Amino acid sequence: MKQFLEIKSVTAGYDGHVAISNISIKLELGKFHVIMGPNGGGKTTLIRAIAGLISYDGKIIVENVDIKKYRKKNSIGYLAQRGAQFYDFPLSALEVVEMGRYRFKETNHAKKEKSFEFLKEVRMASHAGVPIANLSGGQQQRVLIARALATESKLMLMDEPLTGMDPRTQSEFYEMLEHLKREHSLTVIISSHDVGFTTAYAENVFCINKCLVPHSEAVKLLEEPEITKLYGPNICLTKHYHTSSEEEDESEGEDA
Amino acid sequence: MLEFLKLPFMQRTLIGGELVAIIAGMVSPILVFRKMSFMSVGISHGTFAGIALGIFLGISPLWSSMAFAVGLGIWIGFTSKTGKISEDATIGTLFSFSMAFGIVLISLSKGYHPDVMGYLFGDLLAISPSDVYFASVILLITVLWYLFRGKAIVYATFDEDFSKIVGIHVDFDYYIFMAIMALITVAVVRFVGVVLASSIMIAPAASAKMLSKKFSRIVMIAIFFGMISIFFGIAFSFSLNIPSGPSVVFTVTTIFLISLIIKWIRGKRGSNNVKMV
Ligand SMILES: Nc1ncnc2c1ncn2[C@@H]1O[C@H](COP(=O)(O)OP(=O)(O)OP(=O)(O)O)[C@@H](O)[C@H]1O
Ligand SMILES: [Mg+2]
Repeated sequence: MKQFLEIKSVTAGYDGHVAISNISIKLELGKFHVIMGPNGGGKTTLIRAIAGLISYDGKIIVENVDIKKYRKKNSIGYLAQRGAQFYDFPLSALEVVEMGRYRFKETNHAKKEKSFEFLKEVRMASHAGVPIANLSGGQQQRVLIARALATESKLMLMDEPLTGMDPRTQSEFYEMLEHLKREHSLTVIISSHDVGFTTAYAENVFCINKCLVPHSEAVKLLEEPEITKLYGPNICLTKHYHTSSEEEDESEGEDA
Repeated sequence: MLEFLKLPFMQRTLIGGELVAIIAGMVSPILVFRKMSFMSVGISHGTFAGIALGIFLGISPLWSSMAFAVGLGIWIGFTSKTGKISEDATIGTLFSFSMAFGIVLISLSKGYHPDVMGYLFGDLLAISPSDVYFASVILLITVLWYLFRGKAIVYATFDEDFSKIVGIHVDFDYYIFMAIMALITVAVVRFVGVVLASSIMIAPAASAKMLSKKFSRIVMIAIFFGMISIFFGIAFSFSLNIPSGPSVVFTVTTIFLISLIIKWIRGKRGSNNVKMV
């Protein structure tokens, strides 16, 4: 196993309130990692700590350097949780994606062309010139995914990327991420509540509910009582295996 | 109405005024999208204390108001960033204090009592060549800043978190912006007065925002609106012999109302089209 990211006893919170406590995880390079956990469990907090948007105690190491140092030279592919931002601002979809290329030393023309490629990846090329405020919620989300990809970062951090996305976009998103991941050996960390869909693609799932709930492999997780511990005793899970060739999906249910 | 153009000192005033309009138009969209209108009101009133301090100490009011405005701008920015004290309460308290402090200082100044009305509401006759030079220097600074940091400030206005992630020093840029905005305010105050200065820094972009959904176009329209407002403002001020501030505000407000009507008509047409389909 080639380690990419190491989170060493990270504790973070807001004004004295501890949101995540003493979390330590090692994450493998080029793998698809999924953070699960109930609302308020601290997923967003952990992702924002890794992204450098909030301060924390402990250490986060990427490729053997402190992430604080790493960030000075490298962007991270980041997608905020939906509804975290209010996008009533006169930038077009293409201009939004261009943000991801801020750091690249390339001409404006090259920035535009590259950004357009990423818009194509998320099937939004036909909306390149449309103001972001005029797009639907799901379309905005796709543009923001393209923006995260446009950073060409080795690390993709996505906070509930698929909330509010239609099923076609969801499976396309996973396929796209799989493809990019293989091609550029991306390490992907997403948070999600979608047990079935996510675990079909995930290579490593870990659960946090303030502290780390002991983690295991995706499929094993479904057989163990971890999910029950997290979401309560009335949850019912349908297993959902991913086969990359065929269009799926069997349903998964979360019942109360 | 246009005979003022024949007078050399009015030509100079007009050139200075137009320079100021360009600068104001450049920053005004950022102010509007960052919802910093009230901050700009606070800073423009704050310059009055700076001006009065200059008069009281017998130094150039330009320098003292510059120092005062930049200090105030950064301080307001700091309270806003750190969020420890409520920003609007801070500004509300500060700007009444600045006015009070200014009036006290001017009353205490021995001998020559300057025309307070002129400082408050703008006086075209008081504009000197040095004001025009000052405006050109500020324009130069603003253009340079735009070239180097424009994209970063637009990005940070749109999405601060992501801007941080791609390596923009969001806080540093913000303080630079506050300082530049304060300098611009000092230049604007000379032409429209302390009380009404913020109108020319806010209304052009507020109008332009209703007409376009493209940031670069909004900036162009805001500059254009600012320039028309100053032109007619100065023309009315001269021909009707009224202070320049109010006449600029009248034109600015007229443009705002026209933009509002255009937006309303466009909106109506839009919904009619939907019905037709
Ligand atoms: N801005 C904030 N200020 C204060 N407390 C916060 C803030 N954001 C989150 N918290 C608290 O921190 C804890 C963790 O929140 P976090 O947003 O990380 O949860 P989450 O796992 O992402 O939840 P969700 O599934 O709802 O997105 C919660 O108890 C929440 O109340
Ligand atoms: Mg969250």
